[in-house]
Amino acid sequence: MQDYKYDNNIDKFPVAMAYVPWQRFEKMFDDLEKAYHIGTIFPELDKPFTGRRCV
Amino acid sequence: MGSREQLLNDIGIVSFVLVDLGLYLDTHPFDRNAMEYFNHYNRIKHQMVKEFSMKYYPLTMDMAESNKEWRWGAAPLPWEGACG
Repeated sequence: MQDYKYDNNIDKFPVAMAYVPWQRFEKMFDDLEKAYHIGTIFPELDKPFTGRRCV
Repeated sequence: MGSREQLLNDIGIVSFVLVDLGLYLDTHPFDRNAMEYFNHYNRIKHQMVKEFSMKYYPLTMDMAESNKEWRWGAAPLPWEGACG
């Protein structure tokens, strides 16, 4: 799979499509019990739903 | 929380870590760093399940080796409060 960097290649992306940035494994939560309650071990995926806006 | 409940709770947490690492590896099958994490936590989980099964009761049928009493059948049932 070609791995374009979004920043440098935005003009190469076809229009009208939705894109999901590729996740890279960097670190896990240090406190795994906390991760268990949050629902993910990846800090970058901790996206609590507030009902109004993105966090 | 007693040590039985604590160990069961910890097994739940490490099992969740393995599910989440597995989901990541499904889309990143050549990420060796993530695989090392998976292998590490998988070994820990096996140790914990084995320890729990020897001390208290078998969590899976493959941990149910028995001598005097069929341990699988003697394990408490979910409606007897075994799940916490």
